[in-house]
Amino acid sequence: MKVFFSSFAEPLALGLSTGTWCAMYCVPVLLPFLLGRDESGYKKNSLLIAFFLLGRLAAYGAIGFALSRLGLLAMEYFDPVLARRLSSGAYLVCGIVLASGIYAGRCASCKTALSPDSAVQTGSRRPGFPTEFESNLNPRRNALAAAALLIGGGDRRVSFLSGMSVGFHICPAFWTAAFRSAASPSAAGGVLYFSLFYIGTLPFFLPLAGVPFASARRESLRRIARTTQLLIGAYFIIFAGFIPLAFGR
Amino acid sequence: MAVTAFFSAFMGVVVFFFSLSGNMGSPAHWIYAISMLAVFAAMIHTRAYSRWRRVFQVSFALLFMISFIGILYDERGSMSLTQDTVQSGEVPFCQIVIPAIIAPFALTGRVIFPARMTGHFASVMGMILLWFIATVTIGRGWCGWVCFYGGWEEGASRILKKPRVNLLSRNKDLRSFQFAFLFFVVLMSLGFMSSVYCEWFCPFKLVTEYAEISDLPSLIATVIFIGLFLGLVIVLPLLTRKRTQCSALCPFGAFQSLMDRFSSYRVVIDVDKCVGCMKCAEACSFCAIDRETIREEKGRPELTCAKCGECLSVCPTGAIRYQFSFQAVSDARIRAKGCSPVPKNAPSNRFGAYFQAILDPQYLFVFTAFTFSVIVSGKFIPDAFIRIASIAFGGPR
Repeated sequence: MKVFFSSFAEPLALGLSTGTWCAMYCVPVLLPFLLGRDESGYKKNSLLIAFFLLGRLAAYGAIGFALSRLGLLAMEYFDPVLARRLSSGAYLVCGIVLASGIYAGRCASCKTALSPDSAVQTGSRRPGFPTEFESNLNPRRNALAAAALLIGGGDRRVSFLSGMSVGFHICPAFWTAAFRSAASPSAAGGVLYFSLFYIGTLPFFLPLAGVPFASARRESLRRIARTTQLLIGAYFIIFAGFIPLAFGR
Repeated sequence: MAVTAFFSAFMGVVVFFFSLSGNMGSPAHWIYAISMLAVFAAMIHTRAYSRWRRVFQVSFALLFMISFIGILYDERGSMSLTQDTVQSGEVPFCQIVIPAIIAPFALTGRVIFPARMTGHFASVMGMILLWFIATVTIGRGWCGWVCFYGGWEEGASRILKKPRVNLLSRNKDLRSFQFAFLFFVVLMSLGFMSSVYCEWFCPFKLVTEYAEISDLPSLIATVIFIGLFLGLVIVLPLLTRKRTQCSALCPFGAFQSLMDRFSSYRVVIDVDKCVGCMKCAEACSFCAIDRETIREEKGRPELTCAKCGECLSVCPTGAIRYQFSFQAVSDARIRAKGCSPVPKNAPSNRFGAYFQAILDPQYLFVFTAFTFSVIVSGKFIPDAFIRIASIAFGGPR
């Protein structure tokens, strides 16, 4: 009974009780991105959420791997200062992914990298406004377009990368689960603990499955969401990434 | 004349209740009461609502600044916002933060703004109660009639006779950006559990309180505040004759636009009378009327209308008016069926005409909106008068 509680019930309960925090960190990244997609049905929307969550899991896996390699040295290296710097770096990368993700697959030079799920819609084009148009940004002259070229043409890739970068933002719930799983007597036990914690946080992402219900009804929502995505990207790069990294705020 | 007297008498009661009672011996309060009554009577009598509203709002913005900064000096000795003030929750709450605190409060039960919940001159509960009552009555009319920040742009936008930059073709983009910015502020406040708008984007820090400049990031923030104030509150309104900060950046304005469906009044455009001259679109300070609005005969301005009355005053055919929301909705339904709403019967006698006039939604809206102006300004304007007098003539306050 005790083993069942500590191995199964505890990590699930931890995930369920702290999932609100996970949602608070991830939803601001994911919601505008999902709302701003072209022709996004329930299937594509669910797929993008899955890619985001996969990206998040990949980041957790990387941190878990680093912790397991460091062993007890983790206590030496992983302190709040490092966590804060890691978070700032995560925001910086996430900001670049989000901001350039607006143009991923939409700039003239990315055409070759176009994937089927990022349909280009030509229409009235207004420079500087991230609406549903085919952008003429030149990657040689524009940093966003260059980053978009690096990311490539897929919404899935943007979703995965943004999930991965958010995963490196270390929140209190993650800290608790990571160190609790690190204290597990076996590697498999640690992985199981962390996986169950992660599963426990997933129900908080379920409401996002209903995003197409809103975006299909109002075309203007998509336009607004894309602008929001760009604003969030810029905020992450400048105010949550660069300034804290450069000035330690 | 009788209608003016009727409404002015009621406004006298409002002014007495919210400012004069308890201050009968104060000349400043008497000057305030007489001024407010004079402005209101002129508004009703001349029907030049927007002109007198503008006079009030610009004056209020300037006097609010004098009073507010004076209060800050009385309380903490400077305009600067120190860490101690933030930690002790002594920061005056501001209506612009309302949309940003809702999501964090709903999820965690915490108010992310460091203000007192009750008991302060700008407590969280006090402002939210005021916002709620304003929402169900005048809706986004708050921005056009009451907002003590909006007066800055209102004043700047009226300095030049003609716009040097025409924003009419960009109205839709500005509106989209405002809602996107609201969405951004709400999400970031949730993600960081702090009011990101106040930390980095508030243009009104310059005329209220500013964060202590203790390091490079706070210096960057201050430069952003000054830049936004000069750019969006002074220069752009001057060049465009639009309230650009209210139309493109203010999250509270966007939030009120969404909440406006719950308000009791609307501005409606009579499509039968409209001749498509576009004077209303040019005059609208809030970018709420486009070519499409007129061409598609929507019968009302766009979502961001702040009911300021600029369009009413410039319409050559009198096609634009204030209307009760329920009436506007029922008229729209009748028009959707291809019929015309039944016109009101002409009153058969003078008493009937008088009675119909005092129930006219335009007078009732103006009365309601100006009541809020009195509620919000009743403390600050007399206080500013007293401070100015004490500086000019010396002696104690």
